[in-house]
Amino acid sequence: MADILGSFEQAVLLAIVRLREDAYGRAVLKEVQSRLGRDVAAGAVHATLARLEGKNLIASRLGPGTPVRGGRSRRFYRLHPKGLHALNDARMTVDNLWHGLTWPLKGSV
Amino acid sequence: MSTSATPPRWAETLLRAILKSGDFDSVSGDLLEEYRESIHPVRGQRRADLWYVTEVLGFASRSARLWGTLFGAAVVARNALDWFAPPLNFQTRAAVSTYLGVGLLVASGFCAAWRSRSAVAGTVAGVTTAAMGGFISIVGAVGLLAIWHGPQTMMAIRGSGGLGEVFTLPILMILPGLLLGTVGGIAGAASNRFHSA
Repeated sequence: MADILGSFEQAVLLAIVRLREDAYGRAVLKEVQSRLGRDVAAGAVHATLARLEGKNLIASRLGPGTPVRGGRSRRFYRLHPKGLHALNDARMTVDNLWHGLTWPLKGSV
Repeated sequence: MSTSATPPRWAETLLRAILKSGDFDSVSGDLLEEYRESIHPVRGQRRADLWYVTEVLGFASRSARLWGTLFGAAVVARNALDWFAPPLNFQTRAAVSTYLGVGLLVASGFCAAWRSRSAVAGTVAGVTTAAMGGFISIVGAVGLLAIWHGPQTMMAIRGSGGLGEVFTLPILMILPGLLLGTVGGIAGAASNRFHSA
């Protein structure tokens, strides 16, 4: 069975999917902030990235820095097949939960 | 955007002490890029510095979350025991809880320093663990008091040192946190070096 993902983990993994080759720490942070529509602490994203890498859902490599970063390296992330599987499972679970219901829900429930 | 705007040097030093040695470049680079491209141009120097320090403190609290929670839970458990099952003699309990507290603070410093290979990380972890544990224990004590505040409980509280001790001791734990975290940090950093040699 694939890993069960929390919603923040899904947001981070989907940001990596969307960013493709450009998925490094700060780009993931901006993408997650933009998709969730709120400020997110950099530490929360980095902790999640480290946890996902620990679960072998993603892999990382170091890339060159830029002047604005003071030349410090960037860590680029990519999805592992196991991460893809976990994301597909998460989507399937949500789809199953919503099956037969019309969104947005209306009236009193 | 400015490539010369610089966050507080001490905060960068603190970040270096907290993070794993291999993570500092990429993480601090991400923070610096965000600071220079997004935060500094909009908020100005002082508020951008505040943002940077808050982010660094966030990293510190995350790294000590487990130890801080354990420390706080231990203090809350000790309070609950003293209030609801007061002993005739507090000596044994005091000794056990002191050793447990010392062990947790040293362990938090050891683990942080082992991870980052820096003894300073131990000091930061010790202080953060004590601060976080203190906060949890104060909230826990308020919670216990909100539910149980009958005359018998209040008498037991007075017998175990009083409310003053319940609410000031957690704040005073910061200093032992600093010292014991440093001790653990020195041991952790030395062990890591010895292990890698």
